[in-house]
Amino acid sequence: MAFRDLKSARASDDKRGNTYVFGGVFAVYELSSDVPAVYSWEQVKSAAVMRRDITITAGNRTFTVSNKMFGSEEELLRAIAIIECRQKEFGFGYAHEQRMIPMKLLYEERSMGKNVYKGEGLLDEGDTAAAFIMLLNIKLVKLLWLIAILIALIVMGILHFTIGITRDNFLYFIPISLAAGGITVLLVYIITHAIARARFKSLADGDIASRQPITFVVSHQGFAACESSTYESRDLVPWEVVDYFVESDKMFILYKGKLPLAYIPKKAFEKKMVSGIADIIALHLEQR
Amino acid sequence: MAAEIKSEIVDINGKSVLLVSVRNGDGIIGTCCAGHIENSASALTRLFYIGNDPIISLIAPNFGNKQSDKLISFCPGFQGYEPKINEAIGIGYKKLNEGESLSSALKDIFGVLQDGVYVAYLSDYYPTDGSGNFFWGAYNISHEIQGTAEHSRVIGNRAYKPCFLIPSQPLDYFQARTKMTTDDSAKTRRVLGIAYHLSGLHSVLLKGHHSAVSCTDRGVPFTCAVIEKITEPYTDLISVKAPVQPVKTAPAEETEEDSENPENIEKQTKAPAPTPEPEEPVPVSEGVTGFRSASVKLPLANIPKEMLKMLIEGRAEYKPRNFNTLIAKLGTMRRKSVSNNVLPFSVLDAADKMPDSEMISSAYAIDSLSDAQLNCLLAGDVECNGEIIVSPNYYSSIVTACNYLQFTDTKRFVDFAIAVMDNSELSAAHEYVARRVMGQDSNKKLLSFFKSVISSGDTKYDKILNDAQTFVDRINNKEK
Repeated sequence: MAFRDLKSARASDDKRGNTYVFGGVFAVYELSSDVPAVYSWEQVKSAAVMRRDITITAGNRTFTVSNKMFGSEEELLRAIAIIECRQKEFGFGYAHEQRMIPMKLLYEERSMGKNVYKGEGLLDEGDTAAAFIMLLNIKLVKLLWLIAILIALIVMGILHFTIGITRDNFLYFIPISLAAGGITVLLVYIITHAIARARFKSLADGDIASRQPITFVVSHQGFAACESSTYESRDLVPWEVVDYFVESDKMFILYKGKLPLAYIPKKAFEKKMVSGIADIIALHLEQR
Repeated sequence: MAAEIKSEIVDINGKSVLLVSVRNGDGIIGTCCAGHIENSASALTRLFYIGNDPIISLIAPNFGNKQSDKLISFCPGFQGYEPKINEAIGIGYKKLNEGESLSSALKDIFGVLQDGVYVAYLSDYYPTDGSGNFFWGAYNISHEIQGTAEHSRVIGNRAYKPCFLIPSQPLDYFQARTKMTTDDSAKTRRVLGIAYHLSGLHSVLLKGHHSAVSCTDRGVPFTCAVIEKITEPYTDLISVKAPVQPVKTAPAEETEEDSENPENIEKQTKAPAPTPEPEEPVPVSEGVTGFRSASVKLPLANIPKEMLKMLIEGRAEYKPRNFNTLIAKLGTMRRKSVSNNVLPFSVLDAADKMPDSEMISSAYAIDSLSDAQLNCLLAGDVECNGEIIVSPNYYSSIVTACNYLQFTDTKRFVDFAIAVMDNSELSAAHEYVARRVMGQDSNKKLLSFFKSVISSGDTKYDKILNDAQTFVDRINNKEK
């Protein structure tokens, strides 16, 4: 099990007077009882880590722990890491939102081997959004061309049926149609970018880790992109988990299926390391 | 920051248990996980370390399954205890033999352990590996050690006292001259060793290797002060009969006519009687019942508040500060991989005759076995008077009963073993029982049975013929 040495995390519900502990066990101190309710993770039926709270169903009870009840973001991230590692061990039901960095249940504790590249940094919102948009552009480029041609033809048609194309005005109609197509595409482009940026922001807002310093590790054994406050030195996501990668000028984006699994910014590493990292990733994954 | 050590005696079912909590401990003695071994994702390695030396490597197969026995080996690279550790252990040992209480005598040792809650007690140990080999030098090559699983399938959820040893020093350290001094002290000392519980029935001996040799040689019980870390939550189950539900006859659809119809009344009266549900094990309470170590089960309500907080919020084990040094040392070679030292033959012989892990497990699994229960087992039943005797599995019941009797009552063991071997329907158990009974020195009943086995030529004894011949030859050679 990865992240084996994590310290427990506490959350206090000041209104009810309850204290929740996430650690080797899940425990709830309640005002009404001298003895806490303690559940082994084997007794946990399901867990849900959502944007605003964590819900644990254990035994016949369901506990909802708001993110605000944790003393710090580091503590909350530790609680999430513990839940994910225990989920891997005991297989209880787990619901979660999309993440910017790999979930802890994908990690394995293994030796790093040789040629290990380590870096640390924040997931820069601008860079990551740019990468997000770049990926969108790759998908949109053909559609945008199609829209431009269609709009140009439609405008040409409208002009023909309303004004009528003659030899005299033909040369005016072509630039007008092309401009109409271009303007429409520009509008579509701006709107989709706004949507993409909003989606990215929503994704980033939903993952507290995106606001934390992240430790990035790339080695032949696997990679890591984990908030530095939680990361333990021997935990890696094996390359087998990842399907392919896309490289932009600012980062490597690792994919599992259709969804990005991790964003690895190049600037988190020293410049001289980047080519070595690219070699390792290219050796283990297909580039698209 | 100095270690904060608090001790408290709690009463658990009329027994006093000494609990010791350690906060800010040095963590220079303890266990830690060393990850997956190379080329095997399913085998997890744990280390028992002292200072900068990895001492014992435990490989837990099947993804660290707690019901699997571990592969244990003495680690190469042992450099000897660091002065601080040596001093702590030495002082503890001295104080124990000066009559001080466990909590005060072991204080220095607790200070060098990892943070957590421990239980300490005195207990007699068999200085073997649990398979009849003297413990010192028995772990040079990594191999599966019986009885090292955290959860014994035989013992089940019960508490048990570990009683087998793993050395913390290589056999190179054995000196006949030192043994001569411990030979004398073995008879008089109150405590002869200090052990740290590692896994299942096995503990690591921190102090008293030579005393263990002397005690085995002289047939003196080897009493150790034992330290166990309490880490594991447990849930006690009770068997509950499901309430009998009255037979429902769909009242919503029932009309007045239906209820007045004599045929329907007959149908209702002829409806099958509700069959009681089989007993179902259910947890005693919501969540876990308490925390436990091998020998102690502490219900939540009995644990002092501060210690309970440590158990809930603490970690079972964690990587020490010098983890990288330990991992680096794992690959180094000791000067001598196999020692030239030889232990006295009498010690090895005595160790061979000591109870093994199967006997001890069975002894903890069974409270008592009456003759009626044994007769039921011999008749092929796993139940006696409606109660399961040992286990619902017949072969497992025979094996466990056999081992239990071997540990508790030799005469009944021999009688039971002969009855099993004489029963052709229990041929699946013949070989195992014969192997177990071979350890008996000289038993007239057994000798005459084995002689009759050899002379009879009956095919039902085919599986035990070789063992019978070996036993008879051995006794004959002894008599000569």
